[in-house]
Amino acid sequence: MTISGPALTRRDFVKVGGALVVTLGAPVALPGCSTAASATNSLDASQLASWLEIHADGSIIARTGKTETGTSASAFYAQVIAEELNVDPTSITMVLGHTDETPDGGFSAGFLTGANNQRKVAAYTYQALLGLAATELGVPAADLTVSSGVVSGGGKRVSYADLVTGQQLDLAIPVSGGLPTIDLNDPIGITNLAGISVTGDPPTKPVEQYSVVGKSHPRPGIRDIVEGKGIYSGDVTVPGMLHARMVRPATLGSTLVAAGKLDLGKFPTAEVVVQANLVAVVSPNEWEAVQAARAVASTTEWTEWSGLPNSTGITEALRAADWTPVGTRGDAATADAGLASAVKTVSATYEQPYVRHAPIGMYMATADVRTDGTVKIWSQTSQSQGARAQIANTLGVSVDKVVIRWAQGPGQYGRTTYGGDGAMADAAILSQLLGKPVRVQWTMQEDLTWSSTSPAWVADLKVGLDASGRMTAFSSDWYSPHENDARMIGAILAEMPTLSPTVKTSFPVISTVWPYDKVPGVVERAYHTANPAMSSAGGGLRGNIMRTPWQRQQNFGLEAIVNEAAAVAGADPIEFRIQHTTDAQLIEIMKATADAHGWTSRPSPNPKAGRSGTAPVKGRGVGVIIRSGAQWVGIAEVEVVPSTGVVRVMQLTVGVDVGKVMNPTHLKSMLEGGAVMGIGEALFEEVTFDESKVTSTDWTRYRIPEMGDIPEIKTVFVSHDDRGINGGGEAANGLTPNAIAAAFFDATGVQPRRIPLTPDYVKSILKT
Amino acid sequence: MPSYDLTVNGQTHTVTAAADTPLIYVLRNDLALMGTRLGCGLSQCGACAVLADGREIRSCTTPVSRLAGKKIHTIEGLPAMWAGKGEADPAGVLHPVQQAWIDEQVPQCGYCQSGMIIAAVDLLDRTPNPSVEQIRAAFTDSAPSAHLCRCGTYAGITAAIQRASSAISG
Repeated sequence: MTISGPALTRRDFVKVGGALVVTLGAPVALPGCSTAASATNSLDASQLASWLEIHADGSIIARTGKTETGTSASAFYAQVIAEELNVDPTSITMVLGHTDETPDGGFSAGFLTGANNQRKVAAYTYQALLGLAATELGVPAADLTVSSGVVSGGGKRVSYADLVTGQQLDLAIPVSGGLPTIDLNDPIGITNLAGISVTGDPPTKPVEQYSVVGKSHPRPGIRDIVEGKGIYSGDVTVPGMLHARMVRPATLGSTLVAAGKLDLGKFPTAEVVVQANLVAVVSPNEWEAVQAARAVASTTEWTEWSGLPNSTGITEALRAADWTPVGTRGDAATADAGLASAVKTVSATYEQPYVRHAPIGMYMATADVRTDGTVKIWSQTSQSQGARAQIANTLGVSVDKVVIRWAQGPGQYGRTTYGGDGAMADAAILSQLLGKPVRVQWTMQEDLTWSSTSPAWVADLKVGLDASGRMTAFSSDWYSPHENDARMIGAILAEMPTLSPTVKTSFPVISTVWPYDKVPGVVERAYHTANPAMSSAGGGLRGNIMRTPWQRQQNFGLEAIVNEAAAVAGADPIEFRIQHTTDAQLIEIMKATADAHGWTSRPSPNPKAGRSGTAPVKGRGVGVIIRSGAQWVGIAEVEVVPSTGVVRVMQLTVGVDVGKVMNPTHLKSMLEGGAVMGIGEALFEEVTFDESKVTSTDWTRYRIPEMGDIPEIKTVFVSHDDRGINGGGEAANGLTPNAIAAAFFDATGVQPRRIPLTPDYVKSILKT
Repeated sequence: MPSYDLTVNGQTHTVTAAADTPLIYVLRNDLALMGTRLGCGLSQCGACAVLADGREIRSCTTPVSRLAGKKIHTIEGLPAMWAGKGEADPAGVLHPVQQAWIDEQVPQCGYCQSGMIIAAVDLLDRTPNPSVEQIRAAFTDSAPSAHLCRCGTYAGITAAIQRASSAISG
């Protein structure tokens, strides 16, 4: 078969704006061949072969720089591609995250934008394959149908595999954007983190014709995980590799006085490595590295330093900081007028301490920095191309010399989204110094001290109500330190180039999607400041985004004050919300979730509410959030023992309208998992520190949810073909704390204005 | 350094290691069994769990010198243990607990799941038909610590254990 240009340049396709050029040229070096990427160590995103290969056996390889973070995006990508190509999703193998084997880079956090690239590439390819088939079969493309990769029409059929056998489908893919580069004037310090986008509007399949998207396609890597064969970032071994354990400073700001001496009699193959304040012990034997590092740490001297506010006074410390206004939304005059004319007002301050991502596995990375200037790193980062730019910047090599190989890792929940944080810089710097491959494994204490954090926040909120109990005005002032510090601790300690030493600018982040559009006067104002001690030698508390960033925090305040306003109005909390919104989808999912939960209408607090005694008091509460186009509702039942301050969540119902449900099994898993994380934030989680160092450094002091903390979780969702495909991976963790706090109010008559609801805090608010 | 004969997944290996070396480093670095995962390193999370004579131990804190003569099974050895013939069924039949984990699509990031599966095998050996309360107790209150999953897959784990229990009991 001969492929010729004209046969494949379909007029009707060109009309819809696609730039389809198919030629039979010299074979493009296919990714996967080691020579293919050697020139620049990256693939040309404008070439189809960089994105997709269809093999003679019908198998398909698809590539993206985005990664699997545990949200099952790899299953969804395969489904989206399979849908557009009309093939079985199990025929597709995804290549994820390797900077030298994928074309686009980009955030792993935003599945929807990631799927967009996959969908368009598949759609362009589908049109090209239809053209090939039309030529091959002598049947107009409009008369062809495709099922399971076999094209049929005019009584004839041909498979994709037969169409492409021995051929090079050299299809140009229109793209925009670029790969990340360091830009210290950027709020994060790296531009183009969103990577390369596929442009144009190829014809795509209408949602109502979907047969693959919407089914519970199993996630590709799960069998390997349960067999113990799944390769994680820490499993990579390289010949001649040394194991490293880091010896971290005594405080978040100490500098090195003298590294401890190594007893070579005890640790004959270990070695101490020092670069400025970066201290490590390496050994070919991992256990020797562990023990030698402990011994060296015990004799290493650091300067004394105390530049942190004690976490017990974090809110006061935040109040005293210098705040920069970074954004306003809404109309202050209308809101102020509404408040001035209100019959009743609710005015409150809400707050949360620092919390953190707290994965089960700690940061790890392996680096091989060669004397020829090439750098190869194996990492669990979710932003490989951003990490590549940072590592090149830190080591002082050009970015084309750096390859990041991605492997799955412990769930990170956003901490590597900007291509920073983690053990990569430690490993790369040590490997460069030693001239050998180095594997770095952090300890739990190290991870819970030195990884980035989700900053504490304070919000001053006001709601005005009219005589009929309707909200007329809402005013919010929102204070939170930066969440965009993507520096890697290894580079900071080694005093090597990293991103801006202080974050110069910030996002104008008002992240709420205000559900109550019937409220006439709304104003939201955001203020940012630096995190404590971020300019210190140890980088201080580095603020970073965490699952449902900004909105998770802001939504807690918004929904908490709406809950208080409902009580002032004497209204049922769900009916009160329905009264203030025209969002039909929100109303629908509120009603469906309430029905599934068995909600009965009445105002809070519960008539049996109590704030003293040893007998549990019970309550129920609701919260909502709108995120990434999806409407969420959470309903919680709690029991509170006033005398002990212990709160237990007895039942939880989470409802969401994501529009088209892509994969019911994995959406349910996301709802449940997000709700569990929300229970942690609501009841337990708080990063504690004294004036020098973090003190919540193990699982007894940074408590995350255990199975016994988790009630039965009911999930409510219905797929709608006509409402788009919207986000399901986040938001549940931003929803649950509101429902729990509202249920606490229902049980006790006291609205918590801070989370976590620790026993001490609960006892303190029930006393007053 | 002393040598130890370790029986892992039905095979006896002679390994040379310092007496206090935690088992996990021997499994991963000497025996190339990477399915056992290092979590906290202090027996606080359960990610590193393996079976010793059929009972869960934490390989991050159990020294290799204490394991001579014990039959150790890691996540990789469960299919053969289930087949009962010293090697896995050639058709790729997994331990029913592993199969239930696939059927329920339990893992999110998956990092804790080797330890979860090991704990489930131990539980079902002692309690073939556990109630939800018994599952919760086994994964929360058993020494030395709860089994932690930061992705929050506890509902999936519970469903998978119930599914595996039915499969084993027939």
